Amino acid sequence: MVMLSINGIDCYYGSAKVLENIKFSIKSGDFLGVLGPNGSGKTTLLRSISRTLKPRVGTILLNEKDVYTLKSIEVAKSLAVVPQETAVAFAFTALDIVLMGRNPHLNRFEMENHKDLAIAKEAMELTNTWNLADKLITELSSGERQRVVIARALAQEPKVLLLDEPTSHLDISHQIEILDLIEKLNKEKGLVIIAVFHDLNLAARYCNLVLLLKKGKIISLGPPDAVLTAENIKRVYHVDALVKRHPVTNSIYVTPLPLIKSRISSNKVTVHLICGAGTGAPIMSSLINIGYNVTAGVLNVLDTDYEIAHSLSISVVSEAPFSPITEESHQANLKLINQAKVVIVANTPFGYGNLRNLEAAEIALGKKIPVLLIEETPIAQRDFAKGEAQKLFARLKGKGAISVQSYDEVLSFIETNIEANFE
Amino acid sequence: MHNYLKRIFHWKLIIISLTVILALTIILSAALGPANIPPSVILKILASKISLLNNPANSLGIEETIVFEIRLPRIILAMLVGAALSVAGVTFQGLFKNPMADPYVIGVSSGAALGATLAVVLGLELEFFGLSSIPLMAFIGALTATFMVYNIAKVGHTLPVSTLLLSGIAVGSFLSAITMLIMMMAGERLHQIVFWLMGGLSARNWSHVKMVLPFIFLGTAIIYFFARDLNIMLLGEESAQHLGIEVKKLTKIMLVFASLIAAAAVSVSGLIGFIGLVVPHIMRILVGPDHRILLPSSAIAGSIILITSDTVARTAISSTEIPVGIITAFFGAPFFIYLLRKRKSSIS
Repeated sequence: MVMLSINGIDCYYGSAKVLENIKFSIKSGDFLGVLGPNGSGKTTLLRSISRTLKPRVGTILLNEKDVYTLKSIEVAKSLAVVPQETAVAFAFTALDIVLMGRNPHLNRFEMENHKDLAIAKEAMELTNTWNLADKLITELSSGERQRVVIARALAQEPKVLLLDEPTSHLDISHQIEILDLIEKLNKEKGLVIIAVFHDLNLAARYCNLVLLLKKGKIISLGPPDAVLTAENIKRVYHVDALVKRHPVTNSIYVTPLPLIKSRISSNKVTVHLICGAGTGAPIMSSLINIGYNVTAGVLNVLDTDYEIAHSLSISVVSEAPFSPITEESHQANLKLINQAKVVIVANTPFGYGNLRNLEAAEIALGKKIPVLLIEETPIAQRDFAKGEAQKLFARLKGKGAISVQSYDEVLSFIETNIEANFE
Repeated sequence: MHNYLKRIFHWKLIIISLTVILALTIILSAALGPANIPPSVILKILASKISLLNNPANSLGIEETIVFEIRLPRIILAMLVGAALSVAGVTFQGLFKNPMADPYVIGVSSGAALGATLAVVLGLELEFFGLSSIPLMAFIGALTATFMVYNIAKVGHTLPVSTLLLSGIAVGSFLSAITMLIMMMAGERLHQIVFWLMGGLSARNWSHVKMVLPFIFLGTAIIYFFARDLNIMLLGEESAQHLGIEVKKLTKIMLVFASLIAAAAVSVSGLIGFIGLVVPHIMRILVGPDHRILLPSSAIAGSIILITSDTVARTAISSTEIPVGIITAFFGAPFFIYLLRKRKSSIS
């Protein structure tokens, strides 16, 4: 059954068009995530659905009735809104605030009765705020306040719940708690959810539908795996992203990648680092401090070296967490190596997953790019690919790779051989 | 069950106690004055007046005349004006979500002042249901100023609160400039204008009560009708609308009736400051922000405070009267500062 249908709406702020020809419909039981960069019209879309900003063109039907012909109180009986900003300046208790959610169901002179109180209590228990009932709203933290406001929306007993970045004020455990709660209401009670998200991964994990907006227009609408493609993300956010299925949650997992070219300045010596498991981190920061350009790859997302590379804004080719190197990443790695004057292989353990990085070093040698192997630990002790890594090491040395014992030797090699030639 | 439901009982208790205090204040105030009449006699007079409806032959002579024709109209007027200013203050503060708002915030006072000044200077001798020209002109001036502010602030179909406050200030300054220009040229009538501007209830009679009672009663009732809506308005306009409030309609209704009762109060009492600003704050500290209790308790408290102040104003110095506005500010402000400090230290 169609709960909500948006029929070709255009919205304006003054003369500026902020939404253009938005058209979609939501069935009961849907959980829609609205995504898009700042200023793409996400909040405006919620405001037009909630009767705050009337579209100049098009209609919005809630349960087959045009919301702009209904009274506020009629709409409030089936549609509740959790806004982004929830500050209240007057000293009401949290329970007072939640009971205000009963307003659409009360007559003018009616006081809240036992039934209203029971509904408010249930909503507060669901959002884990019943213990705050007698506290003043002005004295709550922003996260507590956010949960109280969600309880207020639930006390309205709505059929559709609109949320504008519901978890923006919450810490990670409350984020998950609230989204799990919303998911439960969605699954068990069939409550229709429309939520604006900033975090693509949270949207991918919880929504069955996502809507991608750019400059007020719909770019894509559908299930998360169909909408959140690397191509769509590039088109809307202008960043390269790695899109994989998360091994734990089985939902789409998006990792934005740094822009490769812009980080390399051409007048400095570029050093490419093959590392992993934290062995590259001290080398990276040292080389950066001295003034070299550093690139790295292929590293798994969540690897310590990846995190450090990321925080140093180093260009890095990345792979999904705990996944073997794909052909795509391998080729990207070779591109970085091509721009380097020297390749360093850190004192890294090698297994089947990252063996391809040694193949990349071999290709570097073929292109006359010198390769340094740091062997603080003999390769035999860190070969987890049943001798494959040792074989590759032998081949590398045969083709002219230089074995060194420490990072200091790497530095002196670069200073004497590479920098001299470069100048 | 949760102690929330106990609250209604609590509210009833607050209203009953305040009403008892109000009744005592009225009796005490009627007893005080140059001619001392003991409270027991006041009670007798009041009781006889009620039975008088059945037995017109029964009369208590001079004391009855003093109580009924001089003191009581003034007390009832003080009660109405105190209630009106407090209710208007609560309403404007809630509607604008601004603790600095008072009944005069959208031009009522400057309009009334200009109206009264014109009446004095032009020596108008209008008579309307036994009323002199000053309160009538003040009332007309107050409503005209409010109407101007309202229309200047209106942008299309919306009425932004910030624009309303600013145009209130602008219109107020403009009208005050005109008033002062007239005062400059008023000559010997200047004293009369200044006295009116200082605010007071001396020489008021039943005709003043009759003039403002319908406006104040009706306006207050209608505002109370929307008490729960006013609570929800404190969440902000968008949230209020999402909870089923017709925000624009409510804003208009509240503005019209709060201005109306403020205009009625000003027209018979001149500019009495402080009450409309501070009574709402005191009551918010004492009973909380819920308008369902805040509005009625502020109305009664405003009555009590103004009757008391007016009694002090007319009895403190024998043979002369202090303008009541001076009394309200002189005693009220320090008390308010005390409450503020006390609340501050209880939080920290």
